[in-house]
Amino acid sequence: MLSRVAYSLYWMSRYMERSDGILRLLRVNYAYSQDDFNQFSWKPVLSIFSAMKPAEKIKIQYQNRTVLKFMITDNENQNSVLNLICTARENARSVQDNVTKELWQCLNDYYHEIRKKQIGVSLELDDPISVIDNLVTQGLQYYGTYEITMARSEGYYFMNIGKYIERAILSVDILDVKFSELEYSLDETTDPTYWKYFLLSISGYELFLKSYRSALDSSNVLHQIVWNDDFPRSIIYSVNRIQKSFETLKSDKTSESYKVLSFMIGQLESSIRYSDLKDLQQVGLKEYLQKIKNDLFAIADALNHYYFAFN
Amino acid sequence: MNSDELFSAYPIVSNVWDEMFSKTEVREPYQRILHFLKQLSAEELTKKEEMARRLFMSQGVTFTVYSSGEGVEKIFPFDVIPRIITASEWAYIDKGIKQRLKALNLFLIDIYSNQFILKDKIIPTDLIYSCEHYLREMHNLKVPHNIFVHISGIDIIRDSDGTFYVLEDNLRTPSGVSYMLENREITKRIFPDLLPQCFVQPVINYPQILYKNLAALSPRHNSNPNIVMLTPGIFNSAYFEHSTLARLMGIELVEGRDLVVDNHRVFMKTTKGLERVDVIYRRVDDEFLDPLVFNADSMLGVAGLMSAYRKGHVAIVNAPGNGVADDKATYIYVPDMIKYYLNEEPILKNVPTYKMDDPEHLELVFKNIENMVIKKTNASGGYGMIIGNAATQQEIDDYKIAVLENPRNFIAQPIINLSSAPCYINGKLQPRRIDLRPFALFGTNDIEIVPGGLTRVALKEGSLVVNSSQGGGSKDTWVLTDKF
Repeated sequence: MLSRVAYSLYWMSRYMERSDGILRLLRVNYAYSQDDFNQFSWKPVLSIFSAMKPAEKIKIQYQNRTVLKFMITDNENQNSVLNLICTARENARSVQDNVTKELWQCLNDYYHEIRKKQIGVSLELDDPISVIDNLVTQGLQYYGTYEITMARSEGYYFMNIGKYIERAILSVDILDVKFSELEYSLDETTDPTYWKYFLLSISGYELFLKSYRSALDSSNVLHQIVWNDDFPRSIIYSVNRIQKSFETLKSDKTSESYKVLSFMIGQLESSIRYSDLKDLQQVGLKEYLQKIKNDLFAIADALNHYYFAFN
Repeated sequence: MNSDELFSAYPIVSNVWDEMFSKTEVREPYQRILHFLKQLSAEELTKKEEMARRLFMSQGVTFTVYSSGEGVEKIFPFDVIPRIITASEWAYIDKGIKQRLKALNLFLIDIYSNQFILKDKIIPTDLIYSCEHYLREMHNLKVPHNIFVHISGIDIIRDSDGTFYVLEDNLRTPSGVSYMLENREITKRIFPDLLPQCFVQPVINYPQILYKNLAALSPRHNSNPNIVMLTPGIFNSAYFEHSTLARLMGIELVEGRDLVVDNHRVFMKTTKGLERVDVIYRRVDDEFLDPLVFNADSMLGVAGLMSAYRKGHVAIVNAPGNGVADDKATYIYVPDMIKYYLNEEPILKNVPTYKMDDPEHLELVFKNIENMVIKKTNASGGYGMIIGNAATQQEIDDYKIAVLENPRNFIAQPIINLSSAPCYINGKLQPRRIDLRPFALFGTNDIEIVPGGLTRVALKEGSLVVNSSQGGGSKDTWVLTDKF
């Protein structure tokens, strides 16, 4: 496969994953804002996904509709869903012959949908959850089409790698922001609704109830998102998928590149798998998360260097 | 809808051949589809039109117009009523194009080697050497299997008496074939079951024939040659066509930056290292192919490509240098070429053409300018031309000055009344002018032309310019079998 094509597929997949993550987060946070009799602040969300200046964040942090519009339809916001979908489609467009026709059409439909002026109007005046649900469904169609139609060849696996790198980074970021509000302390007794909505926003609430059964405390939440193999958004699950997808790329010709990357990915996987809450408390939560993030970035850089270098 | 409603806006224009109506009645090939249309209400037909638009949009059969930083997706307008060609008309066109291409290919072989046609004074030497598309770099270069014009799109028009003429030979990188294929796919959706009922010949084999021809050119004799399609990239207006063809043939779509030349061999950069390339179907103009040989600023080509080509390590399709044969001034001599190389009478006629560097012709044209079209010999896309009866006096005067400055670069032709065909516009059938571009594939054994082509239509009332850049659209083109 052409390096340029692999690169575009990888990024298309990352952008799609990011847009999905953002939409789910917005949906639940908006729902939460309706229950919150104190003023609900969007500051954490804005911190994860935008390069907004602190002063600006403070200015709009309580304005539900303004934030939703900024995060979904704003042209200027690089990480708005609109821009993510446009970029994902532009990537797909440049490699149209390497994705299935169905997948291309699905992305193209999503693109035409998100560009409708009506979406901005509805976010301002109607029920935002309906708007977001509609977009999430478009995204699900993409995931389904991708799973069902894409050939299990290199392209598919590069898309998987992109998807799970993005997902792992998202999960780390979300944890980081959520715990930074608690000053990275695991002992603090926190309002259970805080965690409930957080788990809902990453589709992890039901699994949590089944797995932990006990009260919604922060160490259990942390366990689910870092170490729970059954949770598809957990860091360990994502890193594991990166590893599995990467193994399929093994070939004699690329032994050097393959060795370097499989070592890095393996190292990250074991460092997470063979550590527990105690180890984590020893290094500190903040540092622990930062380390995972650095490792993920290093893997992405190595992919660029060994597999996507075409210029 | 009854006939009165359908045809209430269908004036028969005198002096124009209408594809559907003879003076007295509906021509036979159109009767079946007309019968079908009459069963539909105006709403249903409009719904079908809307469905076609939606299908094009969702499949991304669009070109992007970039304005104020934001891309706007436009579709190439499509008219739902097909254009119909009978089996006997097609047989004539098919034969005529094949004859013409044989001669043009022989001409290119000759002009880049012995130049007998110049020595025998059939074509003036200065005409060739003054042509900017004549490439000295191609001289004495042995092209694989002696084929220059692998893929061509010959533009054919029909005059008021129904005679077919060749208007232009497009021998460089003709585009539009993806619309031929897509238009047919759309017709299948909007008129279910109608195609077999009307005995329409399929066009679906085009990608397979092209692939077979490309594979036959591979310099390495292995069973699975590496064939790539070279595109300028996603900002090119024909990008959709490039990716469609690459997909339909299952070949890699590459950009110049994906390729590299090492030791006179071409490679592509893959995730598994460098991979040798055997055949390049390029949709990049000659000028941009190789910065070491042609335009040094080009980022679209590959440095060293021409040397690999010259050594026979890679095949390039179409061959560079074809522009000397489809130059509008060379066009005048195509009938002479047919006689010279094939010793045959031309089957398809040329439109009478005047050379502006011939003082007699020049005088004649300027005197009758209201009946003339003057064109630049090296321009295409409907640009750089002037239609005598549609231009203002000021425009004509300016154009005359440009012609006098460099007469070699201009030719003139009498205004031909392109034939008209029914289009569904604003809920009614209305006549609009059309042309036809069949796509011919020149293989190592024979020339094949898929029965069909791109029918372009000038959607503006009274307009004679069918180019998409000038408000043109297209139609599905039906070639009927002789069972009809």
